[in-house]
Amino acid sequence: MAADPRVRINWFAATWRLPMLVWQFLFFVVPLLFLVYLSFWLVRNYRMVPGFDTVNWVKMFAKGYFWDAYYFTFGMALLATVVTSCLAFPCAYALSFKLSETARRWAIFFLIIPFFTSYLVRIYAWQVLLAENGVINAALAVIGAGPYALLNTKLGTVIGYLTLTLPLVVILQTLSLASIDRNLIEAAHNLGCGRLRTVFTVIVPLAKVGLIIGAVFCFILSFGDFVSPYYLGGSKPPTLSILIIDTTKSGQQWPRAAVVAVTMIATLLLVAFAAVSAAYRKRA
Amino acid sequence: MAEPLVVFERVVKRFGEFAAVKDLDLEINEGEFLAIMGPSGCGKTTTLRMLAGLEQPSDGEIRLAGRRMNDVKPSERDTPMVWQTLALFPFLNVVKNVEFGLKMRGLDAPARNAKAMEWLKRLEIAEFAERDIAQLSGGQRQRVALARALVTEPQILLLDEPLSALDAHLVIRMQGVLTRLQRELGITFVYVTHSQSEAFAMADRVVIMAKGEVEQVGVPRAIYREPVNRFVAEFVGRNNILTGEVTGCDAGTVTVQSEVGPCIAPLPDNRSVAVGDRLDLVVSADVVTVSATAIEMDNVVACSLISEEFVGSVVTLFLETDGGAELKAQLQQRDIENLDTRSGTRLFLSWQRSSVHVLPQ
Repeated sequence: MAADPRVRINWFAATWRLPMLVWQFLFFVVPLLFLVYLSFWLVRNYRMVPGFDTVNWVKMFAKGYFWDAYYFTFGMALLATVVTSCLAFPCAYALSFKLSETARRWAIFFLIIPFFTSYLVRIYAWQVLLAENGVINAALAVIGAGPYALLNTKLGTVIGYLTLTLPLVVILQTLSLASIDRNLIEAAHNLGCGRLRTVFTVIVPLAKVGLIIGAVFCFILSFGDFVSPYYLGGSKPPTLSILIIDTTKSGQQWPRAAVVAVTMIATLLLVAFAAVSAAYRKRA
Repeated sequence: MAEPLVVFERVVKRFGEFAAVKDLDLEINEGEFLAIMGPSGCGKTTTLRMLAGLEQPSDGEIRLAGRRMNDVKPSERDTPMVWQTLALFPFLNVVKNVEFGLKMRGLDAPARNAKAMEWLKRLEIAEFAERDIAQLSGGQRQRVALARALVTEPQILLLDEPLSALDAHLVIRMQGVLTRLQRELGITFVYVTHSQSEAFAMADRVVIMAKGEVEQVGVPRAIYREPVNRFVAEFVGRNNILTGEVTGCDAGTVTVQSEVGPCIAPLPDNRSVAVGDRLDLVVSADVVTVSATAIEMDNVVACSLISEEFVGSVVTLFLETDGGAELKAQLQQRDIENLDTRSGTRLFLSWQRSSVHVLPQ
């Protein structure tokens, strides 16, 4: 019996796809399923007992502090996303339209340099700068101002988020702005659209995908970050990532920590899905 | 007397060391269809872009309707352009693309929609108003680009090789659309192209440019029949250009000893020619007669056929004289149906002296 040509396996294509499928299955799907499963386990006498009980979900969702942390984390990540995107845009715009091709390559190279050092190290550096007797307050003291509380504040957390995401967002925005067809910008001018107006009526819509992807990265990284809210924000109020740590420490509540983690993952999936579908949606 | 609509006065455009346009003097009249033609890099697109304000002249002055335009921002000119790539906004649908210019002028939504729809109807694409640009064919996009540029009813429309991406049959159709529009609107069209057939088919006047300079300006017929120099004669194609020394000179005729033998040509007006001068003669490929036997004409050259190029009703024969000079003859297919057109056939090319054009330079 001859094989049906329609179901013949394309081995070449399969070879390319296989590593990704194996990888995603082993390191994403399996742990995720385990995490979900873990959220239904029970803790008796500080020991985890496999089971299937919704008690962790019910208890966690009934706690005021869980929702406080949830809204705080979401709000801070959203703030960081807006601030980062707005700070990155003029920078990316200048890199894309005001520099030569060579200068732009150098600029992108310099934007990659921050990634040479560990994020944690950069956050420690900020502690030195932001501390009450740190560099910034010492400088302010010279002109008779301060000292201001900079460390262990929300401002500290946002500075940390920017450290983490700003270079990446600038790079993503630059790549999308640089690929805009210059004829379209000239066409806008030609049809009576001034320079500033062209930025918002033509350039932003054309770069929409890149701008949204940049914002999504910023949101995801900030929402899940543990380092900045812990070392620069002083854990007060706690974000969800800090809540996970606290929950595991207090009475071995790994299942309840799993509830927080699964909620975070679900939130990020929803946000990412909504943003990506907005990015690729056809005109309104 | 009123000045022409557009005046280029000693306009220079340099990009670094390279001068894309050198000392350009050009006048464009109100209501005319002007084509600017030339090989790539001749400065034709730069000239058009300077008129739109997308490039600033390095020197000289450009005036539009009497107003100096050098420092006017592109967004403050009324010089809409149709791009080679069309440059339609992919994030807007057809009608929103057409409305764009009106929106920039501050028209309210119902007014600009009505106006845009009127233009879409005029260009016979009203049914696609709500479509995405990506869903349109090349010809339909072309019409959207035209509607978008014309919707503000400008005095002048600039076109930068707009038909170069279309199929041959669509080019012919769009040429008809463009000439009809230009006649109906009575506005000035400035059309940049490298295609002789597009320029000659549509334009009232043609400008031939090379290396940043204007070589010739004239009606298509004059460009074709009376090129002013060797560059134009070669550029408009299918011309035989013969060069040689004058050997005889009398009563309105000159004899030039060219690469195909002696050639009798009319003595050009207001020009003194002496024996020994070098002259360039143009014998258009379409003015020669091809025959199997020698016939009675002012100039007869024996050749052998090398090849033929058949493009429908018109055929071009490529021939070689015994001395190795190449000649072209362009004929109607029905005129050569009785000829033997196998390679190597002996044929005679003949032409009257009145068909010869002597290049003035």
